[in-house]
Amino acid sequence: MNNKRLSLAEEAHLLDAQLATRRLFLKQCSMGLGALAFSPLINACTSESNGSSNTLFDPTKPLLPKTPHLPGKAKSVIYLHMAGAPSQLELFDYKPELKKLDGQLCPESLLKGKKFAFIRGVPKMLGTIGEFKQRGQSGAWVSHYMPHLAGVADELSFLKAVHTDQFNHAPAQLLMQTGSARLGRPSLGSWVTYGLGSENANLPGFVVLTSGGQNPDAGKSVWGSGFLPSVYQGVHCRSHGEPVLYLDNPANVDGNMRKASIDAINQANKETYKEFNDPETLSRISQYEMAFRMQISAPDVMNISDEPAYIHEMYGTEPGKESFANNVLLARKLVEKGVRFVQLFDWGWDVHGNSTDTSLEIGLVNKCKQIDKAITALILDLKQRGLLEETLIVWGSEFGRTPMQENRNGLEMPFKGRDHHADAFTIWMCGGGAKAGTTYGETDEIGFYPVDGKVSVYDVQATILHLLGFNHETFTYPFQGRPFRLTDVEGTVIKPILS
Amino acid sequence: MSIRIFNSLKWAVPIVIVSGVVLFFPDIFSVKDKDSFYVEEVKPIINKKCISCHGGVKQSAGFSMMNRASFFKKNDSGKPAIDVSNPSQSELLLRINHEDPKERMPSEGKPLSSKEIKTFEKWLEMGAPWGEHWAYKALSPVKVPSNSSWMGIFGGNKEKGNAVDAFIQQKLNENNLKLNPTADKETLLRRVSLDLIGIPAPKDIADKYLNSTAPDAYKTLVNELLKLPQFGEKWASVWLDIARFADSKGYEKDGNRQIWRYRDWVIQALNKDMPYNHFITEQIAGDLLPNPKDEHFIATAFHRNTPTNDEGGTDDEEFRTAAVIDRVNTTFEGLMSTTFACTQCHGHPYEDIKHEEYFQFLAFFNNTRDEDTVEEFPVIRHYEKTDSLQLLDLVAWVKKTATPKRADEIYSFLKFLQPLVYATHADLFVNSELYDTKYLVFRKKSSARIKDVVLNGEVRFIAQQRGNSKKGKLTIRLDSLRGKVLGQFNIPSTEGKWSFTPFDIQPVYGKHDLYFSYDNASLRSDTESGFTLNAFHLDHAFPGNEGDPSKKSMDSLYWALLRKNPPNTPIMMDNKPENARKTQVFIRGNWKVKGEVVSPGIPKVLSNSFNLTKPNRMGMVEWMTDKRNPLVSRTLVNRLWEQLFGTGIVETLEDFGSQGTLPSHPELLDYLSWQFMNKHKWSIKSSLKEIVLSQTYRQSSVVTSEKLKKDPNNRLLSRAPRIRLSAEQVRDQALHVAGLLSNKMYGPSVMPYQPEGIWASPYDGNKWKISEGEDKYRRSIYTYYKRSSPYPSQLTFDGTGRNVCNARRIRTNTPLQALVTLNDPVFMEAATHFGQKMLENPGLSVNDRIQHGYHILLNKPISPTLLQPLVKLYKDSKTYYKSHPELVKEIQVENPNVEDAAFALVANAMLNLDVIITKN
Repeated sequence: MNNKRLSLAEEAHLLDAQLATRRLFLKQCSMGLGALAFSPLINACTSESNGSSNTLFDPTKPLLPKTPHLPGKAKSVIYLHMAGAPSQLELFDYKPELKKLDGQLCPESLLKGKKFAFIRGVPKMLGTIGEFKQRGQSGAWVSHYMPHLAGVADELSFLKAVHTDQFNHAPAQLLMQTGSARLGRPSLGSWVTYGLGSENANLPGFVVLTSGGQNPDAGKSVWGSGFLPSVYQGVHCRSHGEPVLYLDNPANVDGNMRKASIDAINQANKETYKEFNDPETLSRISQYEMAFRMQISAPDVMNISDEPAYIHEMYGTEPGKESFANNVLLARKLVEKGVRFVQLFDWGWDVHGNSTDTSLEIGLVNKCKQIDKAITALILDLKQRGLLEETLIVWGSEFGRTPMQENRNGLEMPFKGRDHHADAFTIWMCGGGAKAGTTYGETDEIGFYPVDGKVSVYDVQATILHLLGFNHETFTYPFQGRPFRLTDVEGTVIKPILS
Repeated sequence: MSIRIFNSLKWAVPIVIVSGVVLFFPDIFSVKDKDSFYVEEVKPIINKKCISCHGGVKQSAGFSMMNRASFFKKNDSGKPAIDVSNPSQSELLLRINHEDPKERMPSEGKPLSSKEIKTFEKWLEMGAPWGEHWAYKALSPVKVPSNSSWMGIFGGNKEKGNAVDAFIQQKLNENNLKLNPTADKETLLRRVSLDLIGIPAPKDIADKYLNSTAPDAYKTLVNELLKLPQFGEKWASVWLDIARFADSKGYEKDGNRQIWRYRDWVIQALNKDMPYNHFITEQIAGDLLPNPKDEHFIATAFHRNTPTNDEGGTDDEEFRTAAVIDRVNTTFEGLMSTTFACTQCHGHPYEDIKHEEYFQFLAFFNNTRDEDTVEEFPVIRHYEKTDSLQLLDLVAWVKKTATPKRADEIYSFLKFLQPLVYATHADLFVNSELYDTKYLVFRKKSSARIKDVVLNGEVRFIAQQRGNSKKGKLTIRLDSLRGKVLGQFNIPSTEGKWSFTPFDIQPVYGKHDLYFSYDNASLRSDTESGFTLNAFHLDHAFPGNEGDPSKKSMDSLYWALLRKNPPNTPIMMDNKPENARKTQVFIRGNWKVKGEVVSPGIPKVLSNSFNLTKPNRMGMVEWMTDKRNPLVSRTLVNRLWEQLFGTGIVETLEDFGSQGTLPSHPELLDYLSWQFMNKHKWSIKSSLKEIVLSQTYRQSSVVTSEKLKKDPNNRLLSRAPRIRLSAEQVRDQALHVAGLLSNKMYGPSVMPYQPEGIWASPYDGNKWKISEGEDKYRRSIYTYYKRSSPYPSQLTFDGTGRNVCNARRIRTNTPLQALVTLNDPVFMEAATHFGQKMLENPGLSVNDRIQHGYHILLNKPISPTLLQPLVKLYKDSKTYYKSHPELVKEIQVENPNVEDAAFALVANAMLNLDVIITKN
């Protein structure tokens, strides 16, 4: 863009620094507890200000990169959420005792006071059908369901005793991603983008990629911005057609004509600025420039077909298809380009055993095949690019599965399957400051309850924020008269898995 | 809430230093008198520095600063915190001045500043006067500042101001500022049209105003706009954010909800200028009015807009409870700008509201018949015309033949399907099950229980059931599987369809547990389902004497009506006294851990000595709309102001509490609120009219460097604000200027163009099916709102999630917004049509054509500086399109040519101009 325009952008920057056009910002400075609790970040609001301009929500540049509370090891996050809840008992949480109990009626003592989504009466215990081995130097247990991942077990940091308090998909996904089982709160990715901005002005700061044919059960709220400004919501990028909604020009407009029209719009808007001196007009000029740059750069970034053949081989990608593997490769490209938070949702993990697709014997095997190679490739690829240290990968779901076989509606199921289980499940992290080759937490002999290293959803969230450089207790936003935070009133950083 | 987060706070002085530039807030919050000293000077320090340890949640050392009495009460030190007879020796002053950091208060963080300490000293010397928070003070008539101080000083403006201007000018005077001159007629026309009807004014009204030289032309324009039906559509979109209105249920499959009649009710109520006190009375307690009509029930759908969860395996009570809590929070935040949600878990940290008081208020809402069922019971059924007439005939006949009470019962069941016992209450399943946690399924030999059913000697058990087998037998016993038989009957097949089927039972009185046992030898296996029960209704014999010829026809009419499946709307309706739900405090906000039982009540600090006479929603709304309650009118007036000026008099629309912002013009807010209740008799239109007729509203938005310096954020309104249009307005305006916008009102929500693949809720068969004909081009308020997947462009322009009450939209400015107005096919289609309009008059020059388009948009001539880049775009694109016929043929007009293509592009650019996206 030409010099004249650059100087206008500079002018815009100066002006809005002086004007701080939004009341919200002023409120945060003068009144809001939340922003003040955040004072290390926004010292412009404190009386001890050193004069630097570092606000969390600058409405004219909401995605400007920002520095967190503390130096964080992770600069970006790739969060892989397996919607529906895979069975930790088949993949990572090895329970030989459970195998011995296979087919026996569940003891009443385990059922007392328990509520399940679908198990009724007295179910039977179901032995694991995963063949487990200890892997690598760390000796982490990984089953035959994930043969590739087993090879990089030493890179992973397992949490084996995570618990939640929701046993239905939609509320549990909301709790995991927004810190509340009810609709209306900002998602993890929104919080992170709000707190850190984005490194690439030509791409959205928070990108969501979905596979499996369905959106997660909780809908788009799991990447919604809740009460944070809407600019922080996840941008759902699509596998078919334009990668970002409305990124493509209409059929009668091509890149040249789009450039010509944005030039005309911005030329006219500069005249409008001269007339009204409204800083919002200047901001609009730069937003249109950014939109144009996004139109040019996003399709390139979003296009995986020009990756070399060995990369496709490694990830198991097939360009043009909607697949988890494609999304994983895309995620790598995005964080490489400075996107702050990439959230993947893969649908189809709800292994109840009521159909082939939801069976542990067939359905789960197929689902694992779809992710195993790609995730392993992601870890190795980020490592070889030197990006793993600053990219946090999180793999997990909204809850786990029961050690009992499901008996939906009190009936025997046609396939082997397990019900939703909130009390214990496995999540792993990798890179970004998570300690490689660790396993933290342990469940009882049948994988029903945690016996050691029990952590909550909030602890996981606190840890992710910590790795990004945030103190989850002071990272707040004022809403409804009080400072809100992702972890509400809970959460402790899980220190044993920090590197 | 955790205390931890309050402890590490650092505090600001109201000076903001940004990039080394010091900004002083205009002096609009100065102390007025002794009464307000506590509220304006002392309370803010307490809130910032003390209350996290000595508040409503945590009371360190047994000392709370929540109310005056607690300062005089002995705390753990054995002494009270203050002693007004000996101020300097008061514990409070000793501790904040203490030299030992271990003894000094605040215990963490920096000591109080000398200014803050002086404030406390002064307060004690004054005798520690208490003051009520401004928002809770009752309203009284406000004196309008005298004319002499402000008349005739509108900068170059000969118009006479009104009372609104008097308040505004008073503050401007204090800062040596003046209002801007009146905006030009065209600007004002567009501004007031967008504000009152949400879209540009119809051409006839616009032309009449622009051509009129009458001194009251503007007033006439305002009156005409207020009468247009589009008024209701614009203002309903504001209300629907508060009501969290959506066309779907919320969680997981997020299925369709039939509730659009509520949206239509809001539009109609606003159009007929229903007094606001009635407006909220009908929405909160319409069902409790004497002789409520259908529309009163539909109004109560306001609080049925809460999300529900049909996901298999969910606990209905959990989501019922969530809905009730949401109703409390919405009522407070949306209608009274008070944040109440924090008292769900503990006492309010800043206001003197106790934890129990939350649940007393919750008790008003906790007795409704809704229980998160799939069918959204209770509902009002909308019979077709002839059916509803027949229903009236039937009811009249029952009234004549039997009693008015019987007539009411029969009406209630046919109209609302109430009372109804939901099978989701079942337990003690033996080979039976709540299928998908929704329907009670009985198999070969099976049983289940439904507890606490109140029997009043009814003789008919009317089951809403379905089954495939003709052979099953159901036995209902009292209080055990071997108890007295209430009824035993063969279950007919309904061929898999839901149907209401009557069975005879013995008359019994009192509350009993019903034990259902089902036997069906014809079923092939133990696991095959025989009969499914969804709900049942207990009824007495159908009225009328045997042999009365009309009985038979009325009886069959009854069944015909009952078995119709007319459309319905979820409504509010209370449980009967014998089934009333008791309300208990949730310990620390956990709905599973219940504490003491409470009855309905209003928080003391907000009661303003109102005497609650009805312990139900009607009583509650009587308190809300009582003139002693200042919150309802202040909230509404502030919201009207925010819609017109972009920022409320109190910026935090959602919170008037001590953590919210202070009003910029407190007297003006009180004046308008008083006028609203008294002079305007709660008329929204009259209040709006008073504001838009002010010079403050009518001034131009041009800003001088002096004004930028003295009033940088325009909190003093030294000029009119420039505000980006709302999500709805951006789309509606584009359709309007293109001549596409349909003026069709009301009815089921519509589906305008949306890209493929946006909807992907699991287990939900509903599809986004683009509406036919003009329904594609309806105003945005009619766009189908699926919660899990809202209409994308609306969300990009800061539309709200509609999951919870949203009292204020935060405006953002992002590249994704630019992509919508540039590339969304909806906007390109509008641009194409708009381009055609510019081309419609033959023989015009390019300049004139663009001029013509600009005139359609803004009713005024385009300035040469704006015209020039558009003409250039036209020329460049025409040249380009000549060599790119493949682009030209994509223009959605008949036989497109280069001219069509160039004008579509110019039109697209014009619809993206700052002056078009912004209300000036």
